[in-house]
Amino acid sequence: MMIGRERANNLTELLAGLRSCPDDSIFQHTFRTLPEYHFIRQVFSNDFAYWSSDECRETALAERLAGLDVRSFTSVSELRETLVDVVESYLRRNPSLGDRPARKPFYFCAANTVVMPTDFIVANLGEFADALKRVTIHSIHYHFIEVRLRLKLRSNDFSIWLEEDLEMPKLAAQLNRIDIYNSTLDGVRENIVRIVEGALSGRKSNG
Amino acid sequence: MDKIREAMEKSAGGVLDEAPAAPAAAPRVYRRGAHLIDTPVPPPAVAPKIDDYEPIIGRGQVEELRFLAKALSGKTAKMVNSTAVGGGVAEMLNRLIPLLTELGVYTQWEVITGGNDFFEVTKGFHNALHGGDYEFTPAAREIFLQTNEQNRARMKFEEDVIVIHDPQPMNLIESRREGSGRWVWRCHIDLSNPHPDVWSFLEPMLEKYDAAIFSSPSFARQVPIPEFLFYPCIDPLSEKNKELDDIFVQKVCDDFGIDRSRPIVTQISRFDRLKDPVGVVEAYKLVKKYVDCQLVLAGGGATDDPEGSVVLQEVMAVAGNDPDIIVLNLPPWCALEINALQRASTIIVQKSLKEGFGLTVTEALWKGKPTVAGDVGGIPTQIINTLTGMLVHSVEGCAYQVRYLLTHPELALQLGKNGREHVKENFLMTTNVRRWLLMYRIMLGVV
Repeated sequence: MMIGRERANNLTELLAGLRSCPDDSIFQHTFRTLPEYHFIRQVFSNDFAYWSSDECRETALAERLAGLDVRSFTSVSELRETLVDVVESYLRRNPSLGDRPARKPFYFCAANTVVMPTDFIVANLGEFADALKRVTIHSIHYHFIEVRLRLKLRSNDFSIWLEEDLEMPKLAAQLNRIDIYNSTLDGVRENIVRIVEGALSGRKSNG
Repeated sequence: MDKIREAMEKSAGGVLDEAPAAPAAAPRVYRRGAHLIDTPVPPPAVAPKIDDYEPIIGRGQVEELRFLAKALSGKTAKMVNSTAVGGGVAEMLNRLIPLLTELGVYTQWEVITGGNDFFEVTKGFHNALHGGDYEFTPAAREIFLQTNEQNRARMKFEEDVIVIHDPQPMNLIESRREGSGRWVWRCHIDLSNPHPDVWSFLEPMLEKYDAAIFSSPSFARQVPIPEFLFYPCIDPLSEKNKELDDIFVQKVCDDFGIDRSRPIVTQISRFDRLKDPVGVVEAYKLVKKYVDCQLVLAGGGATDDPEGSVVLQEVMAVAGNDPDIIVLNLPPWCALEINALQRASTIIVQKSLKEGFGLTVTEALWKGKPTVAGDVGGIPTQIINTLTGMLVHSVEGCAYQVRYLLTHPELALQLGKNGREHVKENFLMTTNVRRWLLMYRIMLGVV
């Protein structure tokens, strides 16, 4: 991870940093929060929310930032604009809070992403369910969450494959509705497996 | 064995064959169990192979390392630091270098040489870079430059990536030639508040590197080269962290007179005021009013550090005659015993007042232990308050959190689980190998 040039000692500086930091920083502190803390159910959905709460004690702002679902965004610039809007409107309503020093600074960092193939290649629903249990959490995150930035779609690799290659649009839609903020990433994996295995056993009993 | 015995006796502050002079009810400075007396200095551990980590991190992550290394096959690297033994950097390099080499990135490790005068200067630099007072004399400057020059004369830098660790060998960068490899400075210390004279001497050297690596964003300086974040790490297969048979854990507890049927609160650290061992005893006394428990304070530094022995005396004074306070001044080769003590603990405390990264916290979290620690240095990076442990700012806060966790074992268990996962994701040796491979790829433009 790279250490960025921007750092914020208060909310005004956070706003400035959100405007000027590279896209990779926005990506790191939002999309990457979930895999980095994938084992905690109660984690804030992004680092900006956590810092606003923990270091600035601005829980109302933190709640608004935490309410952002990264899956609603298909580009980093769209996400950046929303983050800027949230902080800007909060400071407009509470101008005296902008310069109040945070307990600790926020350091903008940036991710280095390398995408690599794995050995898991599947051709049917049974193999898919089996592979889902064995791939890393990072693979789940990449195909299920990060992918939206690549596809520019509010969907995910799994749902698209189920819909286009296995012609299972209902199952695809079911997966796409899974709440990623309501459990750990392992919980998300279990949810996907449960839904896929449910479809598998339904097929068997029908067939 | 004589040397061991001598060291043990020195460490114990007495002769091993003699019974402790302290009254039976007094805190034990050193329990002379047969187990420890028979424990020789362990031979250097055989470095683990990448596949040995698979049961811990999973096949997927092992494959990930192999994939990242594949494009670097045949590339070479050199790491340079100032000591081959002792200290966290040497310990880390001992494990890191064989793993990188096994993955196909042949990595050589060289240690600079220097006289006592050089190491006196660099020790002064170290303290000054941490913000301490220092008089930077022209003689110190000359000694630093001359020793670097002598090392440059005997060393070659023909590798694809050259990594210089910490300030001591920093001026080896003068050996950089047009078209030669990429140079990276790995800084293991906190540069947030350096002595201005020392920093203005070192900064021009840093600017000649291609990149710098820091252990925390808050330790970094704003410099015109790319800066990367590498957290320090622990090796899950080292003696201090590997899984232990419970029979051994029980034996260590028996040797030290620790009762595993009652809660055990432990702080592992040097007898150093910045680790606040006296504050830990005070916190324990507050806890003890409500919950029956024992306190184990185990560490070294009371033998080789004059201040350490003073701090140990302060601890003993505040501990008084409580037989449930067990103070252990352990020799440095007791990694297995430290491991066992951590595993036997109900709660681990690291009530530091100032800290680097705090690898003892990493060790505790890795063992799944609910951990209560000071909100300083690198500790908050590891302890996400109330999620992977508890952060505290006072004796009273420490006592409250220990008490709370002792009486809420389900929360304690969850914190321990979360803490272990956090370490697994971010602070293991294998994560560090991944970071180095990524760094090499970036430096060499391997996409």
